[in-house]
Amino acid sequence: MSHKPKKIKLLRKASKTFLLLSTCLMIAGTIVLYFYTKILLQAEVEEELYSTQARIESALLKGHKPFSLPPTIEVRQISRLQPEYLKDTLIYDSSQNEVEDFRELSTFKNIKGKNYQITVRNLVVESKDIFLGIVFSYFLIILIAFLFLYYFNTKGNKKLWSPFFENIEQMKQFSIRSEEPVKLIESDILEFSELNTQFSTLTNKVRADYENLKQFTEDVSHEMQTPLAIMQAKIENIINENTINDSQYEQFSSIQRDIQRLKQLNKHLTLLTKIENNQFIRVEVVDISNVMEEIVQNFNELFHNQIQFIEKEHINLNMDPYLADILCNNLISNAVKHSKNNQLIEVTLKNKKLSVSNHGTKTLKNPEKLFIRFYRESHSNQSTGLGLAILKKICALYDFEIEYNFVNEQHVFSVNFKNNFRIPS
Amino acid sequence: MKILIAEDEIELQKSIATYLERDGNICEVTSKYDDAVYKVTLYDYDIIILDINLISGSGLDVLKILKKEKKTTGVIIISANNSLDDKLEGLDLGADDYITKPFHLAELNSRIKAVLRRGKYGGDETIEFNEIKVDTKSRSVYINNNTIGLTRKEYDLLLFFITNKGRVLSKEIIAEHLWGDSSDLLDNFDFIYVHINNLRKKLTAEGAKYIKTAYGTGYKFIEE
Repeated sequence: MSHKPKKIKLLRKASKTFLLLSTCLMIAGTIVLYFYTKILLQAEVEEELYSTQARIESALLKGHKPFSLPPTIEVRQISRLQPEYLKDTLIYDSSQNEVEDFRELSTFKNIKGKNYQITVRNLVVESKDIFLGIVFSYFLIILIAFLFLYYFNTKGNKKLWSPFFENIEQMKQFSIRSEEPVKLIESDILEFSELNTQFSTLTNKVRADYENLKQFTEDVSHEMQTPLAIMQAKIENIINENTINDSQYEQFSSIQRDIQRLKQLNKHLTLLTKIENNQFIRVEVVDISNVMEEIVQNFNELFHNQIQFIEKEHINLNMDPYLADILCNNLISNAVKHSKNNQLIEVTLKNKKLSVSNHGTKTLKNPEKLFIRFYRESHSNQSTGLGLAILKKICALYDFEIEYNFVNEQHVFSVNFKNNFRIPS
Repeated sequence: MKILIAEDEIELQKSIATYLERDGNICEVTSKYDDAVYKVTLYDYDIIILDINLISGSGLDVLKILKKEKKTTGVIIISANNSLDDKLEGLDLGADDYITKPFHLAELNSRIKAVLRRGKYGGDETIEFNEIKVDTKSRSVYINNNTIGLTRKEYDLLLFFITNKGRVLSKEIIAEHLWGDSSDLLDNFDFIYVHINNLRKKLTAEGAKYIKTAYGTGYKFIEE
């Protein structure tokens, strides 16, 4: 099972990426800055400790009396000199009534024959404070950046991308059948301009190809008719020369059937192309029940009252009368073709809905493919496979709704005319 | 009958001529527009079979000239184009019928006869075949002056048989004649047998046994 990834708007995506990136950078930056600041501060504190220690030492040398100012300065006389050391220590500070983090430098000096231990301490900025400071500054920067970005997105970006968004709207309007090329807005941005050029080239090509294809179908259909006519005429002459035997006649008949198939195929393809090309522009008021009535009569003359027009109401439609004829004809011939053993075919016309039903034992295997050209549910018959495709096209042209249902062992094709009270453009 | 076949495809021209000459018609052929114009202005034909696409010109223009000259020639247009507009234009210009390629020669023949029958070219509206008499105006059939009741399709079938008498008619040709070509082709021609059998029964009951089977599956309307 595949599921579609959620689509996100370009501008939102861009901001999202920016925010995500800034968060990552902030975290990394905080860590680096934290250690860097800490090292920097520590170096500064130590420098100060050394400098204080040097001043005390020089004061002692000048003959000042040793003095103490706990906890920052302590000078003591000791018996033995030791190597100097530098360490962190926690000392209770009575002035602030809390335990504070101090950096402590102890040096041992012999000044004027006496041994002194000079200890200087300095308050250290707490790690927690550095950390909080950095995070706060970052937060402030991001907030400002976000506000700026938001403004830039809504105003600036929108303006920047506007040719892009407007052209997307234009592209959505693109129809392969339209005579007019797509009109795109020119932009001074190179990429947008390139996109436009590429899109125009592509759509022009597609439209030209489509046009050629339509022309091709029509030309081929048209050009095939004459050779077919020659073949058919020659076969008829041969058959009438009385010089062939029964099996040769059978073969000629079979060729004739194939010629007929090609003829029908041509006819239907041309009709389909014409409907697609909107060549049926004649619109008249057609009473579909009269058209159906006549066709049912014609068929009944051939098929011995196999078709019953049960219910009918008069519906006036705005459509080409020729296509109305084809519509009814194809509905009925489809039913006749697939009804076995002369089972009754029922036609009803009520509530703006025309239904034709014929008996069947089971529902179709692929009802959704019914209206696709050349789709045949069974390969037993020689139909062109275009009858229902033509029906569908006619319905699409006039906004009719066509559907297939299998109800009570009946294949039912219905055409709903409820939308057709306007003239198609 | 004197018939002009104006058709740019020589092979089709020849085939139509062969078929029609079997009935003792005199056929002249042409494939060029100028030649066609020359012929229709100079001679009188009973019927012209006119292709729309002629070499170096349109059949419709030949038709216009013909009508300007007030000739009483019947015109049947044959065209490779089955567009309704062409058909309407042809008929508006005064053509009597329009048939789309490819067509059965038997069908063309029956259309020719139908055009000739219509009073305006001085044709006879009754057709006779031995004891069978068909009044095409009232669509009634008499055998030895007794009316026989036929359905519409049986009547059409009988007329088709008589106009193509002596010709082999396959069930496909008959089916298309009876049904027209407006519908998708059926693979099952059983419905044809029913109509032919009914007609045959009605004719045989009156002693007219002319519908014969040819080559097993075809039919022929012939006197033995």
